[in-house]
Parts: sequence; structure tokens; C-alpha cells
Amino acid sequence: MAGFVDLNIPHLPEKESLQKLVASAAHLGYSTVAINYVIDYEEKKKEVVKPISPSELFTSLPMVQGKSKPIKILSRLTLVVSDPSHCNILRARSTNIKFYDIFAVFPKNGKLFHVACTTLDVDLVCINVTEKLPFYIKRPSVNVAMDRGIYFELVYVPAIKDSTMRRYTISNALSLMQICRGKNIVLSSAAEKPLQLRGPYDVANLGWLFGLSESNAKAAVSTNGRAVLLHGEARKTAFGVVYTMKKPRTPDEDDSTPATKKVKMAL
Amino acid sequence: MVRFKNRYFLCEIISEDLHFQQSIDEWAVHNTVKNVVARMHGDFGLACCSIAFSVKYLNAYTGIVLLRCRKDFHRLLWSSLPFITHLESRNERYRCSFNTLHVGATMRTCQKFLIHHNRNQLLVLLRNCTSEADRQAIQKSVQSCKFVGEEQYNSEDEESKDEESDDSMK
Repeated sequence: MAGFVDLNIPHLPEKESLQKLVASAAHLGYSTVAINYVIDYEEKKKEVVKPISPSELFTSLPMVQGKSKPIKILSRLTLVVSDPSHCNILRARSTNIKFYDIFAVFPKNGKLFHVACTTLDVDLVCINVTEKLPFYIKRPSVNVAMDRGIYFELVYVPAIKDSTMRRYTISNALSLMQICRGKNIVLSSAAEKPLQLRGPYDVANLGWLFGLSESNAKAAVSTNGRAVLLHGEARKTAFGVVYTMKKPRTPDEDDSTPATKKVKMAL
Repeated sequence: MVRFKNRYFLCEIISEDLHFQQSIDEWAVHNTVKNVVARMHGDFGLACCSIAFSVKYLNAYTGIVLLRCRKDFHRLLWSSLPFITHLESRNERYRCSFNTLHVGATMRTCQKFLIHHNRNQLLVLLRNCTSEADRQAIQKSVQSCKFVGEEQYNSEDEESKDEESDDSMK
């Protein structure tokens, strides 16, 4: 069984609060989190910053509750697009963009939603949950997205914060479910405070409110998240066939040498 | 023999407030949960959930609660638990969140799970110890705890171990 994944931990300017957020996600039992960097073209924030590395954030990574493994931290870039020309940044292989593991896109209108589903090289399409959907989700574009292995993201923290947003979240989610029938959905948090995070089983159960079946809801917090990661990783490979792996650094290797090897060397 | 089927929710209340431990009681949790069910599912939901709803167990030190409701309507209760953001007691609001640890059909399974969970928490506590003195203090407090009354269950014994070791860390 794959571990639980939360693909949307917003990047906060203060390092300390980000640390707290990741630590509480580990405490709740998430084994992978992705730190989200948002680029919004309407706010004139155009430069792509280099994502913070896990070693920069923590000296020792927090342990996942119930497992004896440290938490895995990834980076994710979200583009808020309202014009097709904004997506050129994904094709331009600029210096910082290759550091990101996952690309997500937040379409503002129906035309861009179609473009994002059919042609753009992304892993996630975010669905707006804080206001009424400005466009109808169409079945052809969703079907193409499902074939390409692109997932749709629903965020649950606005629903916890406010009652009107909760109504929009549930109605938007239900209208999406009618089209995609519970497949290719990722539920993630976008929590700014540790207390807004919820445990993975609670989130899976929230899927029940969003019209997901039990197995689909569980997949939305575990296996689908994993599929997104693999889709993101496949982009870095050559046609998804050739795969390169980073060689672990030497000081790490020294620490992690198993006892049996040491004994052999001593002999 | 026919019996009523229940579901027991074993939840952990997470809070950053320091005065939180002293101020929660069963009634506060009971009211908070009922309010949130009413907010999420309306009068119908509240009516369904309030059949046999009760707070069976509360440990203020570790923040563990055990809630009971009928099996037919447990989805209604479960889907409203994530929307709890505040706990109100004695006219004060404490920011908190509920994390469901286990959903069981009997109290016995919940008790077993809780013992297992607390044992793990103790291991985490020992791993995070920085000095030998801390470790010794935890060991001492674990050894010194004993049954206070006859009607206490095994799980509460485990609980008290954990809570004492928590105290000694502070």
C-alpha cells in the first residue's frame, strides 16, 4: 500500500512556520509532501525561484507517524494562467525550472482548461474551489486528460475555513465528479497553518462529501498522488524509457553502510 | 440475538494552546461535535447522529477521545469531524483539530489500538531524548505508575504512563 501523499503545502516565506507545517504533516502520517510555489501573472510575480531543498529546511527530517522512515519533500510549481502565452515558461528550459518535481496549472477560463487538459506538459490541473466555476467542465477534454495521465486537484482547506467556500467546494467537486466519475482526482490541503491539516483517513472520508466512492477516495490521497509523482518523473526521462538516478553523496553512504558490510571489510 | 451495531471513533485532539489540557471536559467535546454535525448536515444529520451518541472516554493529557454513534450514520459524523476548528469550554475558544486514529466496531478493538499507539508514542518520546537524565526520568515515571482504582482498565494504565512521561519532559 502506497504511503499517503499531500501535494500542496504552500511555500511560506518564514522558514520556521514551513518547518512546523511539514513536521505536523509527518505527525499525521503523510509520507510524501510537495511544497508548492505559485506564480500568478496578474500579480507581476514572474521570476521562478529556486525551490528550497529538504536539507536546507531540516537538519534531520521528521519521522512519519507509524513508519520508521523520514518524510519525503518534493517541490511543485503552480502556474495561474489566464492567457495561453503564460504557458511558454514550461517549454522554455530556464535554469530554475528543472529543479521542480511537479508542474501544476490553474486555468482561469474554459479555453485554457481545455488547453491544459489536451496539450500542456503538466501533471496536475487545479480546480477552483473558492468561487463558482467560471466555465463548464467538458467531457472530451477530461477524457483526453485521463488518457494522458493528468490528474485533477481539489483543495480542502478553504472548505474548513469558511462556510460559503465550503458550498462552492462541494458543488464544484460534485460537478467535476459527474464528468470524471471519481477517477483521476487528487485531494490535497493547501494549509497555511498546522492546525488546518487533517489526517489522511479524514481527508479520504471528506471525499465522501465530494461524491467519491470509498476506494476512489482512498486512492485520491495515496495512489493517485504517487501516480502524479511518477508522471512528473517521467518527464525528466527520455520518452519515459531511459531513467537516470542521482548517485548518493559519499558522507551519506558512510553513515548508511550496513553493519554486515563493515564486518566484511574488517575481515 | 440482535444487538445494535455501533461505531467507535478514536480521535486525537491536536492543539497548540497551553491551557488546553486543563480546560477540556467530556461535555465540551460533546457539544462541539454536535454543533459541527448540525452545521454540516443540518437538523436531519444531527437527529441521526444523536441516537446513542456519547463521549465514552476522554484523556485530557494525551488529548485522546472516544466517541460512539450508530453504525448506520457514522459516515455523517465522520465527514463532519474534519470541520472542527474550535473547542469551546467555559466561554473560551481553543483552536484545535481532530485527527481520527481508528474507527472500530467495539470498544475492545479501540482499546487494543490505543495501547499499541501509546506504546509507539513512548518509543518516539525516548528516541527524541537528548540526555541520559531525560531518559531516566521517563523510565522512573513509567515504573512508578500503578493502579489507582480497581475499575480502571488496562488502557488507562498505559495512558497514565504516557502522560507522566509527557509531564516529566516539560
